[in-house]
Amino acid sequence: MGPHGKESAGKVKNSRFAFKEFSHSIKPYWISITFSVLLAVGSAILGLFTPKLLGDMTNIAINSYPNINWGEISSKAITVVILFASSAILQYAQAFVLAVVSAHYTKDLREKIIDKIARLPISYFDKHKYGDILSRMTNDVDVLTTSMSQEIADVSLSVTILIGVMTMMLTISVPLSLVAFIVVPISVVVVGRIANFAHKYFREQQATLGVLNSKIEEDYAGLIIIKSNSFEGAATSSFGETNDKLARATTKAQIFSSLSFPVTHIFTNLGYIAICVMGGMFVIDKSLTIGGVQAFIQYVSRFNRPITEIASTTTTIQSLLAASERIFEFLSEPEEEPDFEPALTIPSIKGEVEFRNVCFSYDGVTPIIKDFSVKVAPGTNVAIVGPTGAGKTTIINLLMRFYEPDSGDIVIDGVPIKEIKRADVRQLFGMVLQDTWLFSGTVDENLRYGRKDASLSDIKAAAKFCNIEHIIEALPHGYKTMISEDSDNVSAGEKQLLTIARAMVANPPMLILDEATSNVDTRTEHLIQESFEKITHGRTSFVIAHRLSTIRNADLILVMRDGRIVEQGNHETLLKANGFYAELYNSQFAEN
Amino acid sequence: MFKLMRFLKPYWWQVIILLLATGGQVYTTLQLPALMADIINNGIVESDMATVWKDGLLMLGLATISALASFISSYFSAKVGAFFSRDIRAAVFQKVLMFNLADIKNYSTASLITRTTNDVNQIQMIVTMMLSMLLRAPLFCVLGLVMAIQTAPEMSWIVAVGIGAVVISVIIIMSLVAPKFKVFQKLVDKVTLITRENLTGLKVIRAFNNESIEKRKFTRTNDELTKLLIFVDRILELQNPLINIIFNGTTLLCSWIGISLLDQNYSYLGNMTAFAEYVTFVMMSFLMLSLFFIMIPRANVSAGRINEILKVAPKIHFPKKTRGVPNKKASVEFRKVSFAYPDAAEKVLDDISFTAEAGKTTAFIGSTGSGKSTLINLVPRFYEATSGEILIDGIDIKEYAKDDLMQKIGLVPQRGVLFSGTVKSNIKFGAPNATDEQVRKAAEIAQADGFITRLPNGYGSHITQGGTNVSGGQKQRLSIARAVCKNPDIFVFDDAFSALDMKTDARLREALKPITSDAVVLIVAQRVSTIKDADQIVVLDKGKMVGKGTHQELLGCCKVYQSIVKSQLSDAEFRKEMHGATR
Repeated sequence: MGPHGKESAGKVKNSRFAFKEFSHSIKPYWISITFSVLLAVGSAILGLFTPKLLGDMTNIAINSYPNINWGEISSKAITVVILFASSAILQYAQAFVLAVVSAHYTKDLREKIIDKIARLPISYFDKHKYGDILSRMTNDVDVLTTSMSQEIADVSLSVTILIGVMTMMLTISVPLSLVAFIVVPISVVVVGRIANFAHKYFREQQATLGVLNSKIEEDYAGLIIIKSNSFEGAATSSFGETNDKLARATTKAQIFSSLSFPVTHIFTNLGYIAICVMGGMFVIDKSLTIGGVQAFIQYVSRFNRPITEIASTTTTIQSLLAASERIFEFLSEPEEEPDFEPALTIPSIKGEVEFRNVCFSYDGVTPIIKDFSVKVAPGTNVAIVGPTGAGKTTIINLLMRFYEPDSGDIVIDGVPIKEIKRADVRQLFGMVLQDTWLFSGTVDENLRYGRKDASLSDIKAAAKFCNIEHIIEALPHGYKTMISEDSDNVSAGEKQLLTIARAMVANPPMLILDEATSNVDTRTEHLIQESFEKITHGRTSFVIAHRLSTIRNADLILVMRDGRIVEQGNHETLLKANGFYAELYNSQFAEN
Repeated sequence: MFKLMRFLKPYWWQVIILLLATGGQVYTTLQLPALMADIINNGIVESDMATVWKDGLLMLGLATISALASFISSYFSAKVGAFFSRDIRAAVFQKVLMFNLADIKNYSTASLITRTTNDVNQIQMIVTMMLSMLLRAPLFCVLGLVMAIQTAPEMSWIVAVGIGAVVISVIIIMSLVAPKFKVFQKLVDKVTLITRENLTGLKVIRAFNNESIEKRKFTRTNDELTKLLIFVDRILELQNPLINIIFNGTTLLCSWIGISLLDQNYSYLGNMTAFAEYVTFVMMSFLMLSLFFIMIPRANVSAGRINEILKVAPKIHFPKKTRGVPNKKASVEFRKVSFAYPDAAEKVLDDISFTAEAGKTTAFIGSTGSGKSTLINLVPRFYEATSGEILIDGIDIKEYAKDDLMQKIGLVPQRGVLFSGTVKSNIKFGAPNATDEQVRKAAEIAQADGFITRLPNGYGSHITQGGTNVSGGQKQRLSIARAVCKNPDIFVFDDAFSALDMKTDARLREALKPITSDAVVLIVAQRVSTIKDADQIVVLDKGKMVGKGTHQELLGCCKVYQSIVKSQLSDAEFRKEMHGATR
């Protein structure tokens, strides 16, 4: 189990919410569920008569001995076969209906989650880890649906069997039944108690396992640091401590959970013995038949299971509610605000972009962008420079409407972008990020990600334009080569080139680029730089620049510091001004 | 799987107790139906109340012993299972700590983590099950069979029929379903993959307005998965009803045959009930066994993966004590060093020689795959040179005790690595005795003091696992502070500055100068600007050293270096640089 598993083992915070949402979500399936419950009840009832009929067979044999009445016995036997066969058929039908329901329910839940991911504001993902969301999609959905189908089947079966068996027992012998009714529930109460303990230690075990797993992850990831600082001893002893703790918690959890077996056993045997002895006495004084005792013994053994199962439902319901809470909590997160109605459009784009007094903060407390204003003429190449944390990336996020400004406006060709549909705003920009995300698929599929109907010649033209044609053709299957985020058949730099080509296939009127800083070899670096220059030519473009050449070629340099533009102009004028930009430049590029 | 059983050795006496207890429990449990048959045959039929009481008390005694034995066996199986897997986990962990980088590359960190966690958990599950069930089931089978045949030899063929039916039905169902499990796992993985992509590619997907396409992709796989799930369930759900039919059928058969045998022997009246119970015991055990054998292959995969790690022999050995007297002044010298991965034809490093002196900076530059990272990882012996020798302070690194060697080196890896704890505990990682003042000083040099003091708890601020609560640049600066705080003779910066912006990079290098005046500094870098001022630059290309000298010297004579510089500067600047070089 990964580091995220431990969260789902936690307690339910709001059971009412979890229960309400869960029952609401299974509403569309209520007909199938009811049907399945009815089938379960039917199957349980049909199964009830087998021991009684077998007992009858014995009685008939004894009473007719030595001229055994085979006719009557075989008719009983045939009834038994019919009964248990049809019970089994109903049982199968019940299980199958439930399996279909739970499969579809699972499917729907997953779809709801993936939809939700697309509708949540980007800011949600700043505060929540991918792993956590992923584990809701996988672990929690799994837990919810399995425990749901298990509960429905178990509860309906158990209740029916319980009532049925009790009735049957009473019809055979009232005093014997009373013995069974006293002994068995006591065992269930005791077992339930033990199960509670077991549950407590299981939680402790899960929590310790979580701690241990993260220790392992951390130490393996930082192995060279541990080695080069001679930290192995300390790491081993800290690991050993948690490992010991885990072994002790596991032992306790296992002991308590396996304890229920001998305990039930004692009680079952006690009941069994009591019934043998008392049954024997009743048969001797003729108040009961041998077949009756035989049947009764079988019923007692059937009496145990449903009670234990009902007792264990509390645990299952706990985990069902915990999973339900995590899933529906996610599904009820506030979504992105709907697009402005009626949305405006820009009929033919010129590419003039203006920021008017834009202010923004991620958390509503610490302002990241403060009163940011600038007007960019069509076709301008803008380079944004500044130290880490100056707010460069945030400007791009606002421009793409990944986030909305707290105040102020961003205006394109005179139209405020908040009044344009998000999709339409994003259509205006081609975006190349540092993080070179490619989905797993072929090169071709990845390149046409921005324009599905692009022809192969469009794709090839874009590839050629972005200097990646030769690289693609050198791949084992050319444009049909499979690549993914973490595939190693293309280097980091080549991935960056692919993302540039991907943006070019869409042929957007404006561009947003975040230059990569590292891990690119020099030849590829050169190619990237060249294609950057080519694609920005004549387009309004915003580049978060790290390369001197990009900065120097820019028409307009915005120097940012603490969320504000502190200087703007081109390279020469800014150097002459001898301000923050000059300081930045000199510390890095100039001769000493 | 069986290779791992050697880990059971320390617990041998507990296993023996466990075995005895299990045997006792099975034996006593199986006596009960026989006694019940006796109650029916000799007590009830003969109307002998004394026999009923005698047998009843005997049953009570046996039941108590059985429960006691069952408790003992549960206790020991839980304990042995838990501690057995604890030992395996510890063994794997310690082995991985001894791994060198070649081993890690071989297995990947992610896979090593799964092996230490998930795989060990799998083994633990199966072993605990095995201890409590696998011992009990065969005993039940054998003893149950013996008892059944003893009770009613004429009916023993029923046992064969029952067992056969159980085994055949399990085999048929599993052989229908098992091949689908692989496909099933693949589809589950695919669903997870698409979800992951939707999360990691969030911005790109939205930037291209491709939400609906992603949705369609997801739905297709999701539908496929659902269909397969329903198909598998359709077969799998047959199991319980089938088993029920078999159990009921066998019981009916017992009654029927028992009644037909009454003519020969009236004691079949009690025996057939006892017999039916024995048959149930035996069939249950077989059911458990067959389910268990289905699980074995899965556990075997895990066991195989664990064994693979455990049998890796450490390739790099350190002497217990450092041999030889080191020079007073720090230095690192490579003499004709080559390196190739085991079984690889191509050399990653080929015949590298240079000397790095104290107070001087030696830089390494070259494109990806040029071998520069591998080169500096040879210094702390994370890789072992295939030929040639490396000397630190005049002594071959193979002569150093591990801790002595590591003590000399302050390493800053490419990716900033932090450990959960506090800012302070992370900086003090390599120098546990450092004072608060030394910690603060190190952070100042690493340009980290500024952001640390702005954190809510300053140096006491919590760092989460993997340092996810600080930014990449901050992580890198803390990891530099950690190396500085150690005050080593040799600094190794493996492309450690690239996550920093240009300005911080420059400031940091300036601040490092005073404290590295007596130390050897080795820097791997991508940016020319980072290493321009180095006293010696080693230019690598495909594992070969193609240039060695200062920035100016290399600009004059080294083609590879020229092209690197050219790609990072504008034409005008490049001309200026070249001019400077020829002047």
